[in-house]
Amino acid sequence: MIAKKVLLVGSFGVGKTSLVRRFVLNEFSEDYISTIGVRVSSKVVELDENEIKLMIWDVAGTSKDEKVPKAYFLGASAAMYVFDLSREETYINLSEDLEAIKQLSGLENIVVVGNKKDLLSEEALQELKSTFAVPVNLITSAKENANVEDAFLLLSKQALSK
Amino acid sequence: MEQTTVNNDKNNRFEVLKELLLTDDREEFHRLREKFLESNKKFNSKVSPVVDKKIDELKSSFPEDFGDVITETIKVQIRESQDEVVEALYPILGRLVKKFIIAEITKLTDNINDTINNKFSFNQLIKRLFKDNTNDAKEVLQEVFEAEIEEVFVIGKQTGLLIGSYSRGNIADKDMVSGMLTAIKSFAEDAFSKEGQDLEDIKFETFQLSMANYNSIYIAVATSGVITPAFKEELSEGLNTLAENIFWKREILENEIKLNELIEKILIEKE
Ligand SMILES: Nc1nc2c(ncn2[C@@H]2O[C@H](COP(=O)(O)OP(=O)(O)OP(=O)(O)O)[C@@H](O)[C@H]2O)c(=O)[nH]1
Ligand SMILES: [Mg+2]
Repeated sequence: MIAKKVLLVGSFGVGKTSLVRRFVLNEFSEDYISTIGVRVSSKVVELDENEIKLMIWDVAGTSKDEKVPKAYFLGASAAMYVFDLSREETYINLSEDLEAIKQLSGLENIVVVGNKKDLLSEEALQELKSTFAVPVNLITSAKENANVEDAFLLLSKQALSK
Repeated sequence: MEQTTVNNDKNNRFEVLKELLLTDDREEFHRLREKFLESNKKFNSKVSPVVDKKIDELKSSFPEDFGDVITETIKVQIRESQDEVVEALYPILGRLVKKFIIAEITKLTDNINDTINNKFSFNQLIKRLFKDNTNDAKEVLQEVFEAEIEEVFVIGKQTGLLIGSYSRGNIADKDMVSGMLTAIKSFAEDAFSKEGQDLEDIKFETFQLSMANYNSIYIAVATSGVITPAFKEELSEGLNTLAENIFWKREILENEIKLNELIEKILIEKE
């Protein structure tokens, strides 16, 4: 079986660990236990009749001007950038942040995910969507299990194509 | 100062500390402020604007005008209650804290003039005690979470295979261990990881993985605890010694058992 290393990055508290937890264990918790360093989990996914073992690196969130150490990206086949739809500071510099991650990781495409969709009304969400400077691939909710599977499938696809 | 009985009920200790350190200051501060306000009221009708201005001046010059008096009070109070502060915290955090608290209190007393403006805020005090100066906090933490080698992996450059290892047996999470191996493998494949460069580090939750690049092997070490510059230096030296030993007797690369013994002898037993 092919193993692929994928990364989740983004500001602290946006729900990276919650997305992984939803995807791998189908669980959700309201508690916030900030990740230290990196947490590795794995899940086997099936994609175009291939079985891939995804090694998911859930990296501790960064704050302004803080970078994910380059060593974390070594050997990564794909990365997901997560932001929090309810916290502007997590997506205000979306295009710069993505550029920086591309530079650092050498990856060409990054899956961009806006999480915590459940905290916004449909109208607010529509309005917000029109303001993003960069295409956002998926709008998810780890809490309500919305689009989580799809986000990781897209990530797997990118990992496989690399 | 009013004597406070030290209540060792866990939930109370924080309150006790707060009380010990601040009650009197707060009272003193309030008393002085009341005084200003009272005078303000008295003259309010006629000279209110003038008084307001004066009060603003007084407020801004407050630290200078009254600082010395208050500083003295606080100094004495802190000096007197030093033992009680330590007593209140002692059972919770143990003997290590004592040194730390005493050092911090000494500093607090010494620098009291600097803090005269914000000493009435408990948050500021806590910040001072636990954040502002991290040296002692670090020291305490280090004694509690002393760094330890948990896993050692020796990987052949040509083959990419694990040729020797050591495990203390504390890392039970399989995904984490395979994550570490992935990291080492990626490090090995990375064109940029040149020989002799600094250790590359990756923090896996509570474990830290350090990787070093040698002539024909990579050595990676997972450690737990708080890593100090001193520990890191020692580790780096240990790794160099291990690498040297391996290169003196290259045949050891073919003998996993011997290699494992050597790893243990050089990196673990000397700890
Ligand atoms: N309402 C809502 N809350 C969420 C969602 N996803 C995560 N949360 C909450 O947001 C908080 C932070 O979630 P984490 O998954 O720990 O965030 P993180 O990005 O891993 O944070 P760091 O590890 O510090 O970088 C937690 O309290 C979660 O319960 C979501 O989809 N909706
Ligand atoms: Mg996390």
